[in-house]
Amino acid sequence: MNSLSPDYPKASPLRTSCGRLSVIGVVVFVLLLTSKLLFFGSLYIPNFDKVENTEYYDLMDAHGYKDGWRREERVLFCVPLRDASPHLPMFFNHMRNLTYPHHLIDLAFLVSDSSDNTMGDLKQHINDIQNDPDVSVRFGEIEIFEKDFGQSIGQGFSDRHGFAAQGPRRKLMARARNWLWTVAIKPYHSWVYWRDADVETVPGEILEDLMHHDKDVIVPNVWRPLPDWLGNQQPYDLNSWQESDGGLQLANTLDEDAVIVEGYVEYSTWRPHLAYLRDPYGDIEVEMPLDGIGGVSILCRASVFRAGSHFPAFSFEKHAETEAFGKLSKRMGFSVYGLPHYVIWHIYEPSSDDLKHMEWMAQEEAKQKEEEKLRGIYDKIWNEGFEDVQDSWKADKINIMKNTDMSGHRKIVVDWSGVDEEEYFKKSVPIKNVVDGNGEPIIAGADAVSGDKAAADDETQLTEKDILANFDPTKE
Amino acid sequence: MAIVRSPLLRQIRRKPLHFLGPFTVIIVLALFILSPSTLSSISGFNSTKTKYNYTPKTGFFGSSSKNKNFQSNLPGNHISHYDLNKLKSTPRAAYNKERILVLSPISRFYNEYWANLLKLTYPRDAMELGFILPRTAEGDEALKKLEKAIKIVQTGPKDDRFAKITILRQDNDGLESQLEKDRHELSVQKERRKNMAIARNSLLFTSLSPYTSWVLWLDADIIESPPTLIQDLISHDKPVMSANVYQRYKNDKGQPDIRPYDFNNWVESEEGLRIAENMADDEIVVEGYAEIATYRPLMAHFYDKNGDVNTEMQLDGVGGGAVMVKADVHRDGAMFPPFPFYHLIETEGFAKMAKRLGYEVFGLPNYLVYHYNE
Repeated sequence: MNSLSPDYPKASPLRTSCGRLSVIGVVVFVLLLTSKLLFFGSLYIPNFDKVENTEYYDLMDAHGYKDGWRREERVLFCVPLRDASPHLPMFFNHMRNLTYPHHLIDLAFLVSDSSDNTMGDLKQHINDIQNDPDVSVRFGEIEIFEKDFGQSIGQGFSDRHGFAAQGPRRKLMARARNWLWTVAIKPYHSWVYWRDADVETVPGEILEDLMHHDKDVIVPNVWRPLPDWLGNQQPYDLNSWQESDGGLQLANTLDEDAVIVEGYVEYSTWRPHLAYLRDPYGDIEVEMPLDGIGGVSILCRASVFRAGSHFPAFSFEKHAETEAFGKLSKRMGFSVYGLPHYVIWHIYEPSSDDLKHMEWMAQEEAKQKEEEKLRGIYDKIWNEGFEDVQDSWKADKINIMKNTDMSGHRKIVVDWSGVDEEEYFKKSVPIKNVVDGNGEPIIAGADAVSGDKAAADDETQLTEKDILANFDPTKE
Repeated sequence: MAIVRSPLLRQIRRKPLHFLGPFTVIIVLALFILSPSTLSSISGFNSTKTKYNYTPKTGFFGSSSKNKNFQSNLPGNHISHYDLNKLKSTPRAAYNKERILVLSPISRFYNEYWANLLKLTYPRDAMELGFILPRTAEGDEALKKLEKAIKIVQTGPKDDRFAKITILRQDNDGLESQLEKDRHELSVQKERRKNMAIARNSLLFTSLSPYTSWVLWLDADIIESPPTLIQDLISHDKPVMSANVYQRYKNDKGQPDIRPYDFNNWVESEEGLRIAENMADDEIVVEGYAEIATYRPLMAHFYDKNGDVNTEMQLDGVGGGAVMVKADVHRDGAMFPPFPFYHLIETEGFAKMAKRLGYEVFGLPNYLVYHYNE
């Protein structure tokens, strides 16, 4: 504030610069005053800068605004992994493409009960991305947790998705999810995002796309592509639904520990599913309130978890894991929504029926190839073993036939109509009529002929060819 | 200030442009320094290319301090690896240096509480503390006292320092009044305990770390306990173990005496279940009110002066006074329901949830800790 000295020079060449300096002084003063005023009336903030291992956080700083990426809000990105090695390259490609500022994203992985090299591959991928020359690709804090829960259930598609396995399996997965977030979440996290590793197609803006809806819990629609013979595409995640009267009634009939799972005929709940409400041309911003949600891709405010919502590893209102998470969060007063027309794509994993069918298809193809090969051989033998005498016969037949008296020969016409139809192969459809040139029937009803189809076929064909083409009496 | 300002004001009055010109320059400079990206978006560098606007929304008078603690915590390569299979909660916790997290929601700071906490004999280098305070003037008051107390310990001799201390400010609004009378009014009970449950959950889940083996819930108004409280509760090796909360007072004859204080440690009764069955979904059963006579056996009444302190009893509901929990129970998802869970809320709902997850809940009727007397 020296510049604001009272003996301010009034008519010197220095006047302008001094004026500027004084103005700077005033502005600085105003700035200081305003910032002081801003803090006035707000809460006391302790200062632990010089105190060892002591931290203070105002949880309000981690509120979770709808434009969190502009407010330096940190996102905890949770990924449960089990035998996921084959999916990791695809997953980390998606990670690189995320548009949410990477330094604001903290990654938390839980590797459990893996028999492949998930852990080694995971570390490899993370090291690659954290040492990327482009600093903006690197993520914030990365924590890898290891915990085995001793799964007795296999990891094949049908093992996992069979009806009987669902209850205990869902409870176990719920435990795994809880172990992940309870150790990973920090006071400075504003949002928590859950993502399965086996998602095939997902926009890089997924976090912003979900966040800007300003909901406590929100999920996209999850579909999966299918091979042509299964119809190209199919809803994948049936765990996102709205509660129905049917569902509530069913829940009432079940015992305390039962777990209702969607998409199985054993439990028909008549609930509206997010997946089936998709319109490929619909507005991606459309929201739909949900009660149960699926776990492929969930964005939640961190305050939902801080308040105590979690993935029940017991039967909560007859549900477990992510579906119960939806119910529990709703019960605690949080908003739970889904986006019916905003779709991400899960990978296609064939079920055991699909696998059988694919095996059958592969066998059929092999069989066809074998047959083709055989036919090739036969054709070759035929061509080499037999001589084509059609042309020489054309020349010879005139000489051979010219002395034959054909006047007494009857012309035979066969009515083939109706024979080509399908029934012909199922039951013996009689050849309607065989008449001679004068319209006199040779064979009526043709039961006699159809006694041996093939034989009759050859016979009549021969007759027809010979007589119609070569023995036209009018030519003579 | 008036002496200083007056020549300047005169100057401004005489030649306003001399003021306006530099002022504008300064504003532009300030914009440029504080948020360079704002400027770039004004001049249209990164406009319309992306779906969303990524211009930071930091305060005009300085950047936010949000990530201050975060950055100081980072390991060198940003990657840490924890094997949770090796995490154990054993009765020999002190010997094994198993990490314990002592959690206290605080709305009033009692010196006696702090003194008692410092008397606990568990090794400090395996002991973490966590506090959560409401957004009220009362919370401010408590925070100032807590700050002072913590600074003394954490800047004192190295061996006396705690492994880690986390202090949180609640993000939901706490109830203003915490007077003894209002606090126990049945009508405010549900709202109060809902609030308390959320505070407990927020504190628990943000401070629970990958190396925590045990969690001790110690209310900020527990002012007296045996110094071996932690080891004693751990030695029973139970998933959830609650001490009996009593209160010292002067009886009618002016003699010092003790009386039961916390009635939330109980065993379920037929009558309690019957009452719950006939309740609406959002109603709760609470102990200690004539309106709801549950006839539940309360642990507070099972205290026997001459009994063995190690006597255990199985419980269905617990209070929050002094409860030892194996961290795995919380990691499995057992939390303090802020809504009626089987018509139970907060700590009592927690006991129910732990049981739903397959854990057993116990109490020590003859092991006393003492509550502050207002």
